[in-house]
Amino acid sequence: MMSRLIAALAVTLIVALLPSAAMAHKLREQGVAVSIADSPLTVTPGRDWNRLDGNVGKHTETWTLDGGQLNDLTFFAGIEPGKPLVRERSKKREPLPKFGAGTLLVELPELFEATYRTAKQIADFRVTDVQPTRFLGQDGVMFTYEYVDQDQLTRKGEAHAAIVAGRLYMIGFDAPRLHYFERNIGDFHRIVQSARMS
Amino acid sequence: MRQGFALPPQSGKTILVLRPSVRVAEQSTGGMAEPRAEWTDQARRHIDAALVELQRQLGNRVIAAPEAYGEDARLVAEHQALFAAVSRAVIEYQFFVGNRLPTKKRDNKAGQFDWSLGPDVAKLPGADQADYALFLYTDDQYGSTGRKMLQIVGLVAGVGVSSGVHAGYAGLVDLKTGDLLWLNADFQMGGDVREADGAMKRVRQLLEDFPGSTIAKEAAAPAATAQAKP
Repeated sequence: MMSRLIAALAVTLIVALLPSAAMAHKLREQGVAVSIADSPLTVTPGRDWNRLDGNVGKHTETWTLDGGQLNDLTFFAGIEPGKPLVRERSKKREPLPKFGAGTLLVELPELFEATYRTAKQIADFRVTDVQPTRFLGQDGVMFTYEYVDQDQLTRKGEAHAAIVAGRLYMIGFDAPRLHYFERNIGDFHRIVQSARMS
Repeated sequence: MRQGFALPPQSGKTILVLRPSVRVAEQSTGGMAEPRAEWTDQARRHIDAALVELQRQLGNRVIAAPEAYGEDARLVAEHQALFAAVSRAVIEYQFFVGNRLPTKKRDNKAGQFDWSLGPDVAKLPGADQADYALFLYTDDQYGSTGRKMLQIVGLVAGVGVSSGVHAGYAGLVDLKTGDLLWLNADFQMGGDVREADGAMKRVRQLLEDFPGSTIAKEAAAPAATAQAKP
């Protein structure tokens, strides 16, 4: 049964690859500084990670260890005023809230929550903590959250954000509340601490 | 199967069979899955009955998980949801060779199968009386062909996709570590779970390679025809 699935997917893959470049998830090596989404933001991971092919929006990158379902580390690297955090599926039917020139640090958890509710089509989302922090060498905000996704699994998350030269820089980590969040929150903190503007 | 794991028949090990997690929905043109309670109830009854029939052939001692209430019930449901998420990750990033994660490529070359639900499985009701837990999960969405194609293209492109339309996962989990020891998972399974025959076919497919079991594969010809249906 599995071989048939793989065969079917392989055929689909070949067809899908014809017009475009090969898809591939890229290795992000321990100790090697990398810039994020062609922005001035660089991080130096404390262990090997995978950068997933594709992105959820302009100026974003998603990294994982075991797959997006189990650990999702997303960088928002310089969201411009007037733009949403992630790509809008439909500007008319499902508009996303926008980061604005007047958006305050303290309003970022709300922007994040509203984005998740619409983009992921979830009803159950709670911000569980909001704290001032230092991020990228300046005043920032750290917040934690918990939500139930479409797959009925409860996930926990934490994000660190700052506004630099009018643009939003944020790193968030989401993982299932069971096992996965606690197992890798330390690896996420290492990345947050390593974040610099070049 | 996890490296180094073997489960011969009559090994003296006990398998805790969790009540299968069953969901049947109708897929709207927009792609949203709309749960259908009556289909889900029918499927649950048929799958439970099929499992009672087939679990006798698993080859080892089997106990049914006790009925769970309150906090216990929540813990079981959350583990089942996690089992499904891990199964989806295994299908997308390990079974689908072209989509493997660079950090796991070395493991994959060495034939490693290294996935876990974590040690909280030891808190599941009935876990103290068994060595392993058998998880069964089915998620069916009866919907449009166009939607199915979109999901496959999405999967290949590596963007987030929902689980597919006739997904079934069966997994054996070590009740001390949470490690996944054996997994049979597929986004496209046979058998219409809303009917007794189809549910039996589904559960048989899910358990046909179970280590130590005597569950025979279905006769090849009719099964192949039936499974080829979208």
